[in-house]
Amino acid sequence: MNYKNKKLEELNKKIDSLSTKKNNLKNNSKDMGAGFGFKISTEIIAALIVGVGIGLIVDNYFNTKPIGLIIFFIFGAFAGFLNVYRVMRRIEKQR
Amino acid sequence: MAAKDSPLKQFEISTISNIEVAGYNLSFTNSSFAMLITVLIITLFLTLTVNTRSIIPSRMQLISELMYNFIAQLLSDTVGDNGKKYFPFVFSLFMFVLIGNMIGMIPYQFTFTSHIIVTFGLAAVVFIGVTILGFLNHGIKFFSFFVIPGVPFYMHPLLIPIEVISYLSRPISLSVRLFANMLAGHTLLKVFAGFVVTMPFFTGAFPLAFIVALTGLEILIAFLQAYVFAILTCLYINDAYHLH
Repeated sequence: MNYKNKKLEELNKKIDSLSTKKNNLKNNSKDMGAGFGFKISTEIIAALIVGVGIGLIVDNYFNTKPIGLIIFFIFGAFAGFLNVYRVMRRIEKQR
Repeated sequence: MAAKDSPLKQFEISTISNIEVAGYNLSFTNSSFAMLITVLIITLFLTLTVNTRSIIPSRMQLISELMYNFIAQLLSDTVGDNGKKYFPFVFSLFMFVLIGNMIGMIPYQFTFTSHIIVTFGLAAVVFIGVTILGFLNHGIKFFSFFVIPGVPFYMHPLLIPIEVISYLSRPISLSVRLFANMLAGHTLLKVFAGFVVTMPFFTGAFPLAFIVALTGLEILIAFLQAYVFAILTCLYINDAYHLH
């Protein structure tokens, strides 16, 4: 009986040490430099693409070159920063 | 350097069999071939490994169950109870991108996720689906998604366009992230592979060692990007349920 208990205890210890190791690994592998940069830059670029696209379409439609482009480019830039802010807030929440 | 040795040569589309329907080019290309192989691998792997359904799983069955659990956990964490319905969609999306990226890591294989039209197609499906889902759940009230609560009314003309652009930029940022990561990684690998051949004497060993390390990193990125794609899909589905 005693022998069995000892073995069980050893097994428990092993499981504990492995699970803490796993948790540590999980925390460390988050947010690598390049991946993080990619994440942020694509958010800004995507919003700018949409802003410029809408601006060009508006200009084409209403013949208001270049006012639509200027206005929607600025809107796009703001939207990009808004996206970045949201991503950062989500990352902060995860921590 | 001649065009045939270009590091971008690997992304070239070549037609395997020419198919034209009503003036549209629907040819079966090496890209479609890679997608077909991907779907075949996923289907065969998942059906064969869980075929035995043993209570004590074999290693292969364990891998399938691990993947299942991974996505099921992700959905219940981000969307909650509503998320169960969307498991098949998110799981197939995740597996398609993951296996597609992994196939691209095998030398001489085509990476279909390195083409923006493929990733944008996937992202557009997610975007349109989520938008329809939002309208189904909230009806016309879905438009209040673009109105930030607690903002003075004279700020709305300024903030609503910004919110709309931010919403429309979702499929683009989703697709560009996956596409740019795959394109940059594979180009970098090819560029350094070029150094191995062109550097004099034994110095080519250094870029070779770098390639080995980079390949490991690329496999990590291949997994990470599939994960990011899946988690963002989950977040967008969550947004369609809970405005703000």
